[in-house]
Amino acid sequence: MTFVLRMAVRETRASWRRLLFFFVCIAVGVAAIVALRSIIQSVRAVFSTEARSLIAADVLISTNRDWVPATRELIDRRLAGAGVIQQTESIETPTMVRPADTSHAVARMAELRAVQPGFPLYGTLELESGSYSHEMLKNKGVLVRPELLTALDVKVGDQIVIGLVPFTIRGVIKNEPGRRVGDFSLGPRVLIDYADLPATGLLSFGSRARHVLLARVPDPQIDPLVTTLKADFKDEFVSARSFRGTDDEIGADFDRAENYLSMVGLVIVILGGIAVSSVTRVFVLQKMRSIAVLKCVGARSNQIIAVYMLQVMALGLAGSLLGVVLARFAIAAIPYFVETSATSLLTDVHYGITWSAAAQGIGIGVLVSLLFSVVPLLEVRSVKPSLLLRDETRVAVRDWTRIAAIVLVSAGLVALTAWQAASLKIGLIVSGGFCVLAFVLQLAGRALVRTIAPLANSSSFSLRHAVLHISRPGNQTRVILLAVGLGAFFIVGVRTLQASLLEDFSVETINAGADMFLMDVQRGQVEGVRAFLQDPANGAGSFQLIPVLRARVTGVLGRETKLESFEDVRARGSLAREYSITYRDRLEENERVIKGAFWKGPSPEPEVSVEKGINERFQIDVGDTVRFDILGRVVEARVTSIREVKWSDSRSGGFMFVFRPGTLEEAPQTFISPLKGPESIQQRARFQHDLVGRFPNVSVIDFHEILATIKDVMSKVTLAISVVGGLVLFSGALILIGAVAMTKFQRVYEAAVFKTLGANTRTIARMLLFEYGVLGLLSGAVGSLGAVALSWGVSRFALDIPWRIYVGEHVIGVLATAALVAAIGVLSSLDVLRNKPLATLRAE
Amino acid sequence: MIELRDVSKTVTSGTEPLTILHPLSTTIPRGQFVAVVGPSGSGKSTLLGLLAGLDAPSSGAVLIDGVDITRLGEDALARLRGEKIGFMFQFFHLIPSLTAYENVAVPMEIKGVANPAARARSLLEEVGLTGRAHHYPSQLSGGEQQRVALARALANDPPIVLADEPTGNLDTTNGRHIMDLLQNIHRARGTTLVLVTHDAELAAMADARITLRDGRVV
Repeated sequence: MTFVLRMAVRETRASWRRLLFFFVCIAVGVAAIVALRSIIQSVRAVFSTEARSLIAADVLISTNRDWVPATRELIDRRLAGAGVIQQTESIETPTMVRPADTSHAVARMAELRAVQPGFPLYGTLELESGSYSHEMLKNKGVLVRPELLTALDVKVGDQIVIGLVPFTIRGVIKNEPGRRVGDFSLGPRVLIDYADLPATGLLSFGSRARHVLLARVPDPQIDPLVTTLKADFKDEFVSARSFRGTDDEIGADFDRAENYLSMVGLVIVILGGIAVSSVTRVFVLQKMRSIAVLKCVGARSNQIIAVYMLQVMALGLAGSLLGVVLARFAIAAIPYFVETSATSLLTDVHYGITWSAAAQGIGIGVLVSLLFSVVPLLEVRSVKPSLLLRDETRVAVRDWTRIAAIVLVSAGLVALTAWQAASLKIGLIVSGGFCVLAFVLQLAGRALVRTIAPLANSSSFSLRHAVLHISRPGNQTRVILLAVGLGAFFIVGVRTLQASLLEDFSVETINAGADMFLMDVQRGQVEGVRAFLQDPANGAGSFQLIPVLRARVTGVLGRETKLESFEDVRARGSLAREYSITYRDRLEENERVIKGAFWKGPSPEPEVSVEKGINERFQIDVGDTVRFDILGRVVEARVTSIREVKWSDSRSGGFMFVFRPGTLEEAPQTFISPLKGPESIQQRARFQHDLVGRFPNVSVIDFHEILATIKDVMSKVTLAISVVGGLVLFSGALILIGAVAMTKFQRVYEAAVFKTLGANTRTIARMLLFEYGVLGLLSGAVGSLGAVALSWGVSRFALDIPWRIYVGEHVIGVLATAALVAAIGVLSSLDVLRNKPLATLRAE
Repeated sequence: MIELRDVSKTVTSGTEPLTILHPLSTTIPRGQFVAVVGPSGSGKSTLLGLLAGLDAPSSGAVLIDGVDITRLGEDALARLRGEKIGFMFQFFHLIPSLTAYENVAVPMEIKGVANPAARARSLLEEVGLTGRAHHYPSQLSGGEQQRVALARALANDPPIVLADEPTGNLDTTNGRHIMDLLQNIHRARGTTLVLVTHDAELAAMADARITLRDGRVV
C-alpha cells in the first residue's frame, strides 16, 4: 500500500501538467452541476418557506364565472363546517388603464385585482414605501406596480382611469403574495378595493373575471375541506386547492427543473470523462516502458493499476473541488444579474452553494473520472516486461476481463445518469441518446476522415502530412471530433432554431396584417366600435368583428369517444379547458373542410364544425354529438364537418369549434376584433387611449409589444442555451488542448526528424495549421450536420413550424470552429516548433 | 542455483516462425560469475530474459533454486524477481518520472521493506552517486544512469544479478567503472552474476563462459 501511495504521488508530480486540461473539463462539468442545483435549491427554499403566502391562504376556491347563489351557499356551509377562521374575497380581471390627465394619450393593459379587507391572509403585501393597509384603497385608491408608472408616465398621487372611474395612485407594489414567478401575465398588477369594482363597469357580461375566495381554516381541516369541495364541484367550473397542493405542484416543477439542468451538467462531465478515457489510453501507451520496468523489479499488475487509479482519483477529486470553487464564483455573480430583473421574488433568494449540490458534484466528478479510466488502465495487465529486451507486436486476444469491465462501466454510467435525472427511464433515454449521438458523430467523423483521405496524395507536403497525421495510430481525431463537434452542434442548433422561431412569429404577426386585437367588445358596442375603426382619423386599417362565446365541452356521444360527464371529459386533459367558440356561415381564407360538408345558411338545429386537431386528438368525428356548456346554457350539437385551419396564417383567427348560425345568436356573447393598427408608436398609443376612452371595458392587445416581449424572452432563453453550448465548446477546447499536449511527444520527435531532413519551421507550422484546420472543419461540419437534423426534428415535431435552413449560420459555425481549433492547435504546439532537433533525437 | 533444461525460444517473424534460441541445457552454480558471449542476434539477451522470467520459453524449463519458474504466473514471477533477481539493461531503463533515489527505492517499496530510504542512500553511496540522489534520469549522464540501475538491481540484496551488456552504451572509463563495481559486489556478497557482453576482455574475467551463435551454444 505504501508503494502504491508513494508511486501515485510521484506519478502525479511528474504528469499533472499533461493531465491538467482533462481535469479542468471535469471541473467545468462539476461546476455546472453544482451551480445549477444550488441555484434551484436556494430558490426552492424561499418558495417552501413561503408556501402559504404563495396562494395567500390555506385554501383557495376560484371560478371563472360569477358565483351562482347555490354554489356560494354550499361553499359557505362547507367553510363553516370546517371551522373557518377568516375569509376574504377578490376578483381578478385583465383591463385597460389610462391616465386621467387626457394630455397623456396612452393606455395599457393591466391585471386588476379587487380585494376585500383581510387580504392577504398570509404573507405581506410589500410597498416601495410605507406599509400596506386596506384603508389605502378605500374611496377609489389604487396601488400599482412600478412598470405601470413608467408605461403611463404617472406618479404616486396622480389619477388613472379604470373602466369608467378615476382612481388615485396611493402606493407602489413591491411584492404581492399569491403571485407566482413565471406566471403568464397580460400586464402589471393594479390593486383596488373590492367595493369599488362594480362602479367601474368592468363586470359586464362575458368579461374574463376570476372570482377568488381565500380562506384560513384550522390545519387538520385543510385537506378534508379541499377533498370535499373537489367532490362537490366535480361537474362545475369551481376549483379548490390548498397551499400544500400548490407547494407540491411547485415542488414537482422544481424537481423537474433541477434534474433537467443537472443533465446538462452531466453531459459536460461525461464529455470530460471521454477525454479522461482517451488521455488514460495515451498515458498508458506512453508509460509502457516504465510499467515494464516496474514489473521487472517485482511489481504486480494490480499494484500498478492501483497506482494509476489512485492518481486518477486524486486528480478527479481536485478537478471536482475546483468545479465547486468555480460554481461558488458563478453563483456569487447572480445577484448582480437578478437585481435588474422585474421579478422581485428572485431578489429575496439567498444564493449560495448547498452542501447536497456540492457533495453530488464531487461524487459525480470522481466517479466519472474513475469509470472512464478503468478500461484503458486494464491495458497495464498486458504490458510484458520482455518489452525491455525487444519490441514485440502484441497479439490481440479476446480479453473477458476487459469486456466485463466495459459492461460494468456502462451500467455504472446509466446508474449515474438515472440518479441525476431521478428516473431510471430518463437515465436510460439520456444515456441511450448520448450513445446514439456519440456513435453518429463518430460515424460522421470517420466518413469525413475517409472523404479527405485522397488529400494524402496532394502535391503540397504540408497538406499531405497533415492529412496523414489525422489518421495516424494513436490519434485524437475521434475525441476532438466528438467534443468540439458536440459544442458546435449545441450552438449552431440553438441559433438556427431561434432564428427560425423569430422569423415564424414575425411572419405570423406582422405580415399577416392584423397586429392589434380588441377583446370584450359588448354586443351593444359593436356598431360604435365599427364606426370608430372605420373613421380614418383613428388610423386603423382592415378589421373584422367576430362574435365569441365561451364554452366548455361537458360530454361527447360518438362512435369512438363516449364521455358521459364533465368528470369524464376532465380525464381527457385539455378537452376540458374553456374554448372560445364562434358562429358563421362561411369558411375563412385560412380554412378548408377535410371531411363532411360545411353548412349553408342558418338552422335552428345546433351543428358544429370541429378543427382537425380536436378530431385527431380526441377522436371526435362527423356524426358525433358534443355537449357544450355555454355560460350555463347546455347545447348539444351534431358534428357535421372537420376543418383544417392553417394556423401560420392567422389573419382570420382560428377556432376549434365553429357553430352553424341559428342557435347562438341570442346567447350571451362578446366580440373580438383582429385589426391592422396605425403605423407609428405615437399613433398606436393615441388609438388605444381614444378607444378605451370611448369603450372603457374593451381590452387592446398590441402584438408589437408582445413581439418585443417574446423577442426579449427568447433572447434570454437563447443566451441560456448558448451558455450551455459555450460551456460544452469550452470543454471541447480544453480537451483539444489536452489532446495536443498528450500527443506532443510524438509530434516533437517527428518535427525533429523533419527538421533534420531539411524542413523549416514554416513548413512544420503550416503542417500543424492544416492538420488542425482540417480537424476543425470536420468538427464544425459534424456539429453543423447535427444541428440541421436537430432543427428539422424540433421544427417538425416539437414546435410545428416550417423548417428553414440558415446557410449563413452554418457556414459561420463551421468556419469559426475551424479557426478556433486551428488557433488552439498551433498555439499549444509552439514548443514543437521551437525545440532544437538534436536534443530531441538524443533524448529518444 | 540456476538450471536450464532444454530451453528454447521461437517467435513469429511476419508469418514465419523464427527460432532465436535452440534447446539448451546448462547449470549455473550459486556464486558463479558467468559470461554469455556471442555476436549480435545470437540469442544472448533472450537467454538472459528467460533466466529472469521476463519472457517465457517456447519449450523446456528454467529452475531457480529448484523452482520451475516457467510454471509461475506473471504476478508470481514479479514477486520472485523482487526477491531473488536484480537486472541491468544496456539502455538502463530507469523510470523517467522518478529521481535516482526513488528509482533505487522502488523495488524495496514493492517488496514492502520497512525503511527503504537508508538502504537506498547507502546503495547510491556505494555506486558513488550520493550528490545525485535527487536528480532525474534526464539530468544524469549515461554512466551515472547505469550506476543508478546497478544500485536498483542490488536494492533487495538479490542472490542473482543478471546484466544485459551493461557497458554496451558507455565509454571505456564508465564501462570499466561499472565492471569494477559489479565484480566487487559479486566477490563481496557471493552473488551469482550472469553477464551478457560483446567484450572478450570482460568475458575473460568470468569463472565460466557460454558462447552463442545463431541461437546455439558453440
